[in-house]
Amino acid sequence: MTTSGSGNPPATANRSEKEKSLKHLARDNSDYVILLVVSLFLLTVPIWADYVSTFIMDAMIEAGIFAIVVIGLNLLFGYAGQISLGHAAFVGIGAYTTALLCTRITGFPTWFALILGGLLAGLIGLVIGIPVLRLKGHYLALATLAFGLIFTELLKTQNSVSNQSNGGIGGIPNFSIFGLTLKSKIMSSTGYYLLIWIIALLVVLFTINLIRSRVGRGLRALHSSEIAADTMGVNTRNYKVKVFVISAVLAGLCGGLWALSSGRIEASMFDLRYSILFVTMVVIGGMGNIWGGMMGAIALTFITKILELQIPQWIPNRPSWLADPGNIAVVLYGLLLILFMLFLPKGITFGLSRLGTFSKQGGSRVKDRLRAIRYRGG
Amino acid sequence: MFWKKRGFKLFVVVMVVTTASLLLSAGCKPKKASGAEYKVGVVISTTGPNGPLGTPEQQALTLYEKQLNDNGGINGRPIKFIILDDASDPTKASSAMTDLVKSQNVLAVIGSSGTGTTMPMVDIAQQANVPLEACAAGIKVTTPTPGGPPNKWVFRTPPTDAMAAEKVADYLASGLKVKKVAILYDSNPFGSSGNEVLKALLPTKDMEIVSDQSYETKATDMTPQLNNVKGTDAQALIVWGTNPAPSAIAKNMKQMGMTIPFVGSHGIANMTFVEQAGDAANGAVFPAGRMAIPESIPEGTEWRDVVDKFRADFKAEYGSEPNTFAGHGWDAGVIIANALKISGEDRSKLRDEIENTKDFAAVDGVFNYSTKDHNGLNADDLIMVKVVNGQWQWLKY
Amino acid sequence: MFRKFDRDQRITIAIFAAIAVVVLVLALSIKKSAGFNTILLGLFYGCQYSLIAMGLSIIYSSTRVINFAQGELSVLGGAFFLTFVQRASVPMLLAFILAVLVVASIGALFERAAIHPLKDSSIITMIIMTIGFSIFLRGIIKWVWGANALPVEPFTHGPPLHFLGATVERQSIWVFGFTFLVVIAVYFFFNRTLLGKGMRAAAENPDAANLVGVSPSRSSLIAWTMAAALGAAAGVMFAPKTLVSWDQGVWLGVKGFSAAVLGGLGNVMGAVVGGLTLGVLEFVVLMFIKPEYQNIIALSVLIVVLLLRPQGIIGKTESLTV
Repeated sequence: MTTSGSGNPPATANRSEKEKSLKHLARDNSDYVILLVVSLFLLTVPIWADYVSTFIMDAMIEAGIFAIVVIGLNLLFGYAGQISLGHAAFVGIGAYTTALLCTRITGFPTWFALILGGLLAGLIGLVIGIPVLRLKGHYLALATLAFGLIFTELLKTQNSVSNQSNGGIGGIPNFSIFGLTLKSKIMSSTGYYLLIWIIALLVVLFTINLIRSRVGRGLRALHSSEIAADTMGVNTRNYKVKVFVISAVLAGLCGGLWALSSGRIEASMFDLRYSILFVTMVVIGGMGNIWGGMMGAIALTFITKILELQIPQWIPNRPSWLADPGNIAVVLYGLLLILFMLFLPKGITFGLSRLGTFSKQGGSRVKDRLRAIRYRGG
Repeated sequence: MFWKKRGFKLFVVVMVVTTASLLLSAGCKPKKASGAEYKVGVVISTTGPNGPLGTPEQQALTLYEKQLNDNGGINGRPIKFIILDDASDPTKASSAMTDLVKSQNVLAVIGSSGTGTTMPMVDIAQQANVPLEACAAGIKVTTPTPGGPPNKWVFRTPPTDAMAAEKVADYLASGLKVKKVAILYDSNPFGSSGNEVLKALLPTKDMEIVSDQSYETKATDMTPQLNNVKGTDAQALIVWGTNPAPSAIAKNMKQMGMTIPFVGSHGIANMTFVEQAGDAANGAVFPAGRMAIPESIPEGTEWRDVVDKFRADFKAEYGSEPNTFAGHGWDAGVIIANALKISGEDRSKLRDEIENTKDFAAVDGVFNYSTKDHNGLNADDLIMVKVVNGQWQWLKY
Repeated sequence: MFRKFDRDQRITIAIFAAIAVVVLVLALSIKKSAGFNTILLGLFYGCQYSLIAMGLSIIYSSTRVINFAQGELSVLGGAFFLTFVQRASVPMLLAFILAVLVVASIGALFERAAIHPLKDSSIITMIIMTIGFSIFLRGIIKWVWGANALPVEPFTHGPPLHFLGATVERQSIWVFGFTFLVVIAVYFFFNRTLLGKGMRAAAENPDAANLVGVSPSRSSLIAWTMAAALGAAAGVMFAPKTLVSWDQGVWLGVKGFSAAVLGGLGNVMGAVVGGLTLGVLEFVVLMFIKPEYQNIIALSVLIVVLLLRPQGIIGKTESLTV
């Protein structure tokens, strides 16, 4: 299986061709163009969505909220090459922070609570990230899994945070800024739709800039080979933690928005299922691809909603094997993950391939990478 | 050029899939409520931990729909229940109800089967001004502040957990005549809500709670907690939770040789408990609607007639006896249909008519709603049931 | 088990043994017979964790992959057992063997179809692959066996036995006996048979092993088959006690990971120690603190070990961090 696809110089390219491809990279503004197009398109959705189908707006709101955390996770997986199976915990931290601030302190500005939620999640991400990111691969996965689960478990035991009997928080006010308050989702989806997608698109913009910056190049080097990057003077530890914290902040932001738009949160919204869902969205959307996160979030949200809400309505008298279409989504996602890893794992190395330097597909053997560096005189 | 980038192909694929899904959902245009049928949304848990509650509710509603429509419907127009499963997940319940209210323009919503999934539906009902007939027992569903006014748009059919707790407390005080009680409650909304009610109620009946512990909904071994109970002088153990944990507790108790009475909640008022606990279920006591043992409903009353007919029809259709949960679903449908006759297609008028339901004999009891009471029933509509040789027996005390 | 431990390992083992003795003494003296019962309960569940952790370590040592689907394979074992016994009226012993065989072949199939082709892939790919497998299995179990917890008859009926002041359920005897036999068999396999020793060699140095005729690819296949079989056996053994439910796999997996990491990921005998330790620790600690914290114990163990000593009690200090 060869990895050179369209637009990538062959592995044994000589120096000048490599330089050309790198320069080509620097002048490439296509991402901004795509961002503009996508933004314009998304802005038009509220106008026509209700005529096509009323579930689109709600689905897009959900997709937008998840897109924010998934884009952050995409940075972590695809660009920094790290894995996290517990990110729903950061979402939960953001959500509970925002909810607690808004419900316990009357009149607390919601936009500020949102920001604080993101920041607190980032802070905890820092505290956890520093020790945990020393671990590699499987151990990192297990550690993030454990932290994610501990958050949910702790939530279940602390009844003091909640104002409901289910460990949750209800009565969260709607988002408001500059004296303008959004209407609840059920009354009018446009308000939250715009808020969420504006934030999501800003996040994408931020990500594009990040990738193109020095930090971004360092990240790509880090992903392709930590040891090589270390040798070349990239402070790997630093970068890994930075990206982890960024992804945590984004997750916290996502949580805060989720809390505000739902009006009610509870522990089951931040459990392992969602951590895994985010991972699925990143993978299926395409890791290492700026748009992967967003696309994954939208695609999976729609597929799930269609299976859960529409199919039961179209086919009310279903044969018993079709009784639980939501579960079919689960089976489908599992299968897709396996198939994607078998046939389309290129998403992971997408970021790498743009450098055109390392051609071996995701080789995990350090020896091979070092060998590659030696032969390419880089 | 950017279209040559590898990721672009993936991007296109995903965009295509997304657009296709959007077009696919184009089939679901918002439906106008005018036309032949009265549409009522139903969001219940037919799968997930509350599946044993939701499935009978669904069966009852499907049967009612058929019966009602075969008999001319409501003022000549058929009723249609659009039934969605929330998989015992509050987020899904919220999405489902939102979809029903917005895209199907349903007149009212029935659901959900458990308290946790019903709470978000309460928010939607209150915000969107849609009548909600809940099949959940948690007191907060209708009455957010204890003793305060009920939520304007929310009503319910099952006896509340407050009523069940009252029945249990009454049994402990007057039947078992104990003074010291231990509580084991499920950490989920059902259990926590019940525990709060019990903690407030038992002291008023001159009883002391010597041990108050919780357990994980999915735990399979409560020996540690039971050890703690053994160390106290509790004379009875209240187990407030839904299956399968109570059956594990019963088995644990048997294994540990604990002989104090096992007093369950209405959460085990179904045969699943007996199936899962086997021999250990014998001797367990729990509150249930009188429908559990229909002979407990006074003969000659309209209530008894309604229940007898319901049982016969359900058995004819499904081949098995209905349980109390089927009753909750049935009653929700009947009350709404009854109110629809007068109100017509207006959510606000429908709400008013539901609130006007008085002396209405249904399966769970005789309903009396009012501006102060959206629960409709009281503790006398419940009885205590004892499991004897794998069967249910009416426990009179 | 009689290998030479280096100084580092000896210290850790000594500390561990000391703590264990202290905890056990505390438990027995404060809670007496309840304490003894709890310790037995902990050993009982510990056997489950051990069996699952052994599977995890076997796979990890051969293929450097953490099988996130191990818990689901276990549930699948119990589920098939249930079907054979209840729907097909197969005698229990035969049903047990069949269930284990079926799940073992599913494991083998997955290894050939998904793990083997990707053996050179990055860690993220492998992790996501097994996560996908676990999601898939979970969905299938829910689809086929439904959403409710299904009861299973214990192997032998009858009242629990009493001995030395403790109450022991009959099923526990089966579990202890079976686990004991399995541990001995596995030890024998890896230390006395050519195939087992070959697998260990392949795990340590695939190229060298290849040179002497041991195929790492075949080792990988055997590893996955064994692990699936062990998981399935655990599932069957515990089904009468824990019932069979589609959502049990997650926590089984997590506790399996904790146990395996505690004993040293990749170290099969360590996994046994880790599993039993985790079980006893969980239930003994529960005697002294609120029951809601049960799961947090296993998680804390995992985190503490990962952060302080990722190679576990018996593992050697290898380069596990960057």
